[in-house]
Amino acid sequence: MSNSVLSLSHASLSLDGNAGKVDILHDISLDVAQGETLGLVGPSGSGKSSLLMLMGGLEQVTSGKIHALGQTLSTMNEDQLARFRSEHMGVVFQSFHLIPTMTALENVATPLEIAGVRDAFSRASAELDAVGLGARKDHYPNQMSGGEQQRVALARASAPRPKILLADEPTGNLDAANGAAIMDLLFDLRDKHGATLIMVTHATDLAARCDRIVTLDDGRIA
Amino acid sequence: MSLKVASRFALREMRGGLGGFRVFLACLALGVAAIAAVGTVRSGIQAGLEKEGAALLGGDAEVEFTYRFAREDELDWLASISEIISKTVDFRSMVVVDRDGITERGLTQIRAVDDAYPLIGRVSLAPDIPISDALSDRGGVMERVLADRLGLVAGDSFNLGEQTFTLRAILDRYPDNASGGFGLGPRTIVKTVDLDGSGLLAEGTLFSTNYRLDLPQDANLDALEAEADTRFRNTGLRWRDSRRGAGGTASFVDRIGAFLILMGLSGLAVGGVGVSAAVRSYLAGKTSVIATFKTLGASRNTIFLTYFLQIGGLTLIGVTLGLIIGGGLPLMLAPVIQSQLPIPADFAFSVAPLAEAALYGVLAALIFTLWPLARAEQIRPATLFRDALGSSNRLPALRYLIITALLVATLLGAAVWFSDTAFLTLWTAGGIAGALLILVFAAFLARITARALGKRARGWPTLRLALNAIGARGGETTSVVLSLGLGLAVLSAVGQIDGNLRASFADELPDVAPSYFFVDIQPDQIDGFRERLATDPNVRKVETAPMLRGIITMINDQPAEEFAKGHWVVHGDRGVTYAATLDDPSELTAGTWWAADYTGPPLISFAAEEASEIGLSLGDTLTINILGRDITATIANFRNVKWENAGIGFVMTMNPSALAGAPHSWISTVYATPESEAGILRDLANKYPNITAIRIRDAIDQVISLVGGIAAATRYAALATLVTGFLVLIGAAAAGERSRTYEAAVLKVLGASRRSILWSFTLRAALLGFAAGVVALAAGILGGWAVTTYVMEGDYRVIWANALLIIGGGVLASLIAGLTFAIRPLAAKPARILRARE
Repeated sequence: MSNSVLSLSHASLSLDGNAGKVDILHDISLDVAQGETLGLVGPSGSGKSSLLMLMGGLEQVTSGKIHALGQTLSTMNEDQLARFRSEHMGVVFQSFHLIPTMTALENVATPLEIAGVRDAFSRASAELDAVGLGARKDHYPNQMSGGEQQRVALARASAPRPKILLADEPTGNLDAANGAAIMDLLFDLRDKHGATLIMVTHATDLAARCDRIVTLDDGRIA
Repeated sequence: MSLKVASRFALREMRGGLGGFRVFLACLALGVAAIAAVGTVRSGIQAGLEKEGAALLGGDAEVEFTYRFAREDELDWLASISEIISKTVDFRSMVVVDRDGITERGLTQIRAVDDAYPLIGRVSLAPDIPISDALSDRGGVMERVLADRLGLVAGDSFNLGEQTFTLRAILDRYPDNASGGFGLGPRTIVKTVDLDGSGLLAEGTLFSTNYRLDLPQDANLDALEAEADTRFRNTGLRWRDSRRGAGGTASFVDRIGAFLILMGLSGLAVGGVGVSAAVRSYLAGKTSVIATFKTLGASRNTIFLTYFLQIGGLTLIGVTLGLIIGGGLPLMLAPVIQSQLPIPADFAFSVAPLAEAALYGVLAALIFTLWPLARAEQIRPATLFRDALGSSNRLPALRYLIITALLVATLLGAAVWFSDTAFLTLWTAGGIAGALLILVFAAFLARITARALGKRARGWPTLRLALNAIGARGGETTSVVLSLGLGLAVLSAVGQIDGNLRASFADELPDVAPSYFFVDIQPDQIDGFRERLATDPNVRKVETAPMLRGIITMINDQPAEEFAKGHWVVHGDRGVTYAATLDDPSELTAGTWWAADYTGPPLISFAAEEASEIGLSLGDTLTINILGRDITATIANFRNVKWENAGIGFVMTMNPSALAGAPHSWISTVYATPESEAGILRDLANKYPNITAIRIRDAIDQVISLVGGIAAATRYAALATLVTGFLVLIGAAAAGERSRTYEAAVLKVLGASRRSILWSFTLRAALLGFAAGVVALAAGILGGWAVTTYVMEGDYRVIWANALLIIGGGVLASLIAGLTFAIRPLAAKPARILRARE
């Protein structure tokens, strides 16, 4: 694909576990187009989240290659990957992963500060207003509900205007109403900023909102 | 029922091993070991002093007189109670060596002995010859330090006064050397009869005589002491016997031992912080287990007992380890310790110091673990999967607060009982408690400040992360400030006090103090002495005064010790002088000075400050025993005496006629330029060989070295506290590793490089160490100022070298601990860390 932002070529992942080496992903080849929304679905343990982590450079392939925005992620070291994420990627997790010692505003400003953005805090503030948390900017994560924490996480992921947005079961820890609100927000942000969205989910109705669905089974694309 | 079930639960819970309790065990073991080691060493020294009591004294018993020999009646009584008597005379003098036209002089403490010396024990000489041979034919022995200083070897000659002696051997050890107290010069031993014609030991010379007694086997020491007191009360006769052969040394060892054990308690207090943190961390990990127990119907009592039994078992392991280390090390190192001690020590397994250390260990563990244990029982089943323990700020049930208070009281009571000094114990305990409170408050302030600064650190994410971590509730800040702070605060206080003391002795005193202090100037020499100095342009000032020694025995016809409640002035003999006029009338604070030609009933002028401390008024009468004669004088006035410049100062000055006829010598202080000091000494010593010159700078050096020894012992104890603190710090850093790993993973996801994350961790550790160092320094400066100003009554100044060391030490310790546990967080793969949290 000529307008591919992310491309996996024969990517495999094995991890060392207590019982020895475990093969997680086998020979995955996949292209994601710019602006596309891609849903990764499959049963528990099928390797969805692992595939998302590979795409985000949070895991390194055991074999194969990953290209993103014209660069080869699979040959980068940890700090080069970190810089790449800082410039081009946003990640949203099921468990939010906010830094507990920072307020909502500080959490959102952090990636902007790391990227050296001058007006990090005013942009973070605007981002929080956009997700409806203008009144909770000085609250710490443990002072907020799960839904609110995930909104902060969304704001944090989208604040640097990433070209690729990765979401790992973003509604997995939320009730139905909060989950729906978060999904609306996620797609709104994606529409507004035109990022490529790759999302892991169990929920078929959420996956149905994506342009394309890739199903994994036992570490392979089904 | 509850206990049985709880025991079973406890055993099952401990299947997980003791991995999480390394810091718990290390803190407790180290604290107990330090106390047990100090106690065992003290006990060994006490046993040695008791066993060698007679040898240390030089006889079964001894009577001592100041500036006189025993009178006939006293000698008769001594002969009637003993089988052999040995008489020794102790005084300061100058060893003079003439070699190739150059004269060298060294101050020495002479022990002049008779043929019976030593009554008990053995004098060890190099070469190994009998002391009787060494002293025959005007022979002498002296300590190596003096012989080396004067370049003397066996066979060389030296002079004492106007008498020449031959050095026969070096004095390695002599039996009666622990009871003599503080001496200004190394020891020389000669025979008393050989001093005839030396010009030393004339009437009025400053000396003391000791009569060592070899008593019959069945002698009753209690009865003899009582009889001596009844027969010779207030005559200046002082009785000592082998039960307290080491005299002041034994009580000094007792006191310094008690102080070091109390310092050890501060180590246990710091260790307690680590113990408490370990238990809190362990129970935090058990929240869901406890909630599940409760869901299954376990009572609060069962829950408490389940974990109390586990912690109790671990406490016993920790205390036992500490006892093995603390009790075993001194025994293993006994030969090394014994060779370093100037006094005998008899190290053996001793139950008492180990029991004391064990008691402190168990009490400290209970005090520091009861609170988190009590909170564990508050966990509700409904909070099964919430971090209820970590977020609970509720006080434990009242019964636990009362038990904690009782345990603290028991610990204090035990410390008072064991140390036998409520004053020292309560002040030390108060100091530790005060320091802990200051540190807790300081940690709170550090957190608030870090949070406020964190909000301002926009655009500096690594700094903000560090500041936010310091400001976070339940973070490492309190642990680090407490654990590092207490040890550093003690080190800082010792450094400030020691530094100020050294500065006042070494830097300031020589500027105002005289160059030389001359003693034993005979009345027929004083005019010539003054004349030599009066014509010397390099001499700035000369002070002279007649010198007698006397013991205040009665005040207003009441025993002086009773009236003055043990004030130092009535304890032992004091210098007494006489004067017709007062040089500086402005020094008079009350009353009037007597007429220059006054010859009426004895009058006395008393030092104003000491008089006020004792409670003396004008018109009160004092009975002073001078050379065995009682003189009762009326207080005519009070005057200010300046002790701090090391000039001549007397508590008591009498009118001249009151002391007419009493044999005495003169003392003098000479203020001269440093370059002229040697010439003055040479002239005066050549002209008056019996005079003893004490160079003030040498005396100051000796005091500094004594103070330095005590400061070093205190520093070692503080270092034990600091090592415990470092262990706690390691524990806190290890406990924080999980959260640092998580933070590093999130930051990596957000694009932070490992370098910037490491920088943030470094900043966090350095800032925390800096905060602990600053607080410790502030506490140390406060302590140093209080002691210097109120106890030493000197001017305080901050010792900056020590201050910088304290802050640097805090930063370094915190960095070592913090960065050791930063390696894994930096290396961890973010995907695995974050997924594990899903």
